[in-house]
Amino acid sequence: MFLRVVLAEARKNLKQYFFTVRVLFWTLALPLGNGLYLYFLYLPFGAETVSLEFSASSFTVDLAGFTLIGQLLYSFFTMMLLAGVAFDRERWQGTLESVLLSPANRVAILLGMAIANTLNYLWLLVGVMISWVLFLNVNILIVDPLALFASILLSYLSLAALGMSLEAFCIHSRRAHMYANMLQEPIMFLSGLIFPLQSMPEALLPVSYLLPLTFGLISVRLTLLGGASIFDVAIPLTVLAFMVLIFFGLAIWLMGYAERSAKAKATLTQF
Amino acid sequence: MVTKVMALHSLRVIFAAAKFNLIITLRFFSGTAIALRLFAPIMTLGSAWILYNHIYQGALAPEFGSSGYMSFIAIGNAFYVFVFAAAFVVGRVMFWERAAGTIEATFMTPMNRLAYMAGIMVAAALNSLIDFAAVFLVGIPFGFQVTSPNIPLFLSSMLLTAFALFGVGLIVNAITLTFRDRTTTANTLMILYLVFSGLVCPIELMPQWAQMISKVLPLTYGLKIMRTSLLGVAASGVTYDLAILFIMGVAYVLIGALTLKLIEKNLKKKALLSVF
Repeated sequence: MFLRVVLAEARKNLKQYFFTVRVLFWTLALPLGNGLYLYFLYLPFGAETVSLEFSASSFTVDLAGFTLIGQLLYSFFTMMLLAGVAFDRERWQGTLESVLLSPANRVAILLGMAIANTLNYLWLLVGVMISWVLFLNVNILIVDPLALFASILLSYLSLAALGMSLEAFCIHSRRAHMYANMLQEPIMFLSGLIFPLQSMPEALLPVSYLLPLTFGLISVRLTLLGGASIFDVAIPLTVLAFMVLIFFGLAIWLMGYAERSAKAKATLTQF
Repeated sequence: MVTKVMALHSLRVIFAAAKFNLIITLRFFSGTAIALRLFAPIMTLGSAWILYNHIYQGALAPEFGSSGYMSFIAIGNAFYVFVFAAAFVVGRVMFWERAAGTIEATFMTPMNRLAYMAGIMVAAALNSLIDFAAVFLVGIPFGFQVTSPNIPLFLSSMLLTAFALFGVGLIVNAITLTFRDRTTTANTLMILYLVFSGLVCPIELMPQWAQMISKVLPLTYGLKIMRTSLLGVAASGVTYDLAILFIMGVAYVLIGALTLKLIEKNLKKKALLSVF
């Protein structure tokens, strides 16, 4: 039953996303454009590499790779952020009450939404990777494949868990779309997507460390471009593993709380 | 005499459309929406400031030239709000007419379509002046400085770019009417302008293939003229840039007006105006 709900929800969301084939073009054009924008931001300095420092170690990584990895993880994060508006969409369609009246497992619904967005992300991943490797000759340096695998897996899991929390949070809010859009730019700035974290003003660092994207960017960039081993990225990987648990737990709790509260106050479909 | 009456009528349409849109903007004024529009330029200014002052400590590539880096970035970002006005506001006029259920009535009126769209562009441009000024003001603490102002050139760059972008808006409208799409075309255009117009990097430093794309975008020339008018650099090629921008504007407006006319005719013939 749980699996059927996950599959049905994922299928429904995929169909809603791909309402026309032109969506595919847009899915590829936006992250590619944003990535190039960040790459061009570095060109006035004549830079070809970026220095990354973490936990007393220093790595020099390729500039094109630095912006590519940043854009790929950030796009996944944005997709998860936008998954948060899925309940808002149900509300517009007038189907939110039906969804929450059904005996379907709520976590399965959230999981289905997250899976649909992850699958949509695959188009982007392939498209952006191919175009960047062809046009900008990204230099890849992998020394520890296990570290890279763990970095990618934990980054995606933590971002998906955060997305699920946001989905649950958005049952309560009537401004989910606005919040999703509003969060994008500051997170881009604070996560170390545009410039290395060691250059971030110290007052802002505590906020950066609350974001799974920050640690995802550090670990994937270091293991894919800087030749870091699993020991070099042990700290960010541990933090990411904790974040997976915390955000997943938060999503389950928020979902239950939001549903109970909205039903008690009869505000489910109120705009 | 007939021409004079038609010109007066078109002026009235422009005025009415601008007034109507400005009233709507004021009625639904939202401080949050303004703040949201300013997020992207502020973040870019902040990032550029960190790159320039902390990471590269003021060292620029020799090809960058003599203009101040932060002023270069601030002008690029401020000018970009015009793209929003053209691609997002003018480009989606027909989408919103359709969504509001007024598209048939709009197309049945005997008004000049171009005048109607020009009125909306005027309102959008006036509205975007708030963002434009705000980005410059925000840029001051980051290091934005006007070193050699040339007001006539500054105004020319704004007017000519607005004219060319109006043509782009007309083309986007035609595409939107045909494909019934709301944001895809406008978003794609925004990205093209954002990346290839030289907002954050001189065109000469971009890869060859990117330079080729930048040459067909009116914002590229508008930006160069505006930077010249405020920073006083690269003044030698400004006549050429003005001429190209003017020719490009005329071409885009002609193509936009023609495609809009053809598409309107086709949609009326097939009774598809209000079909989503």
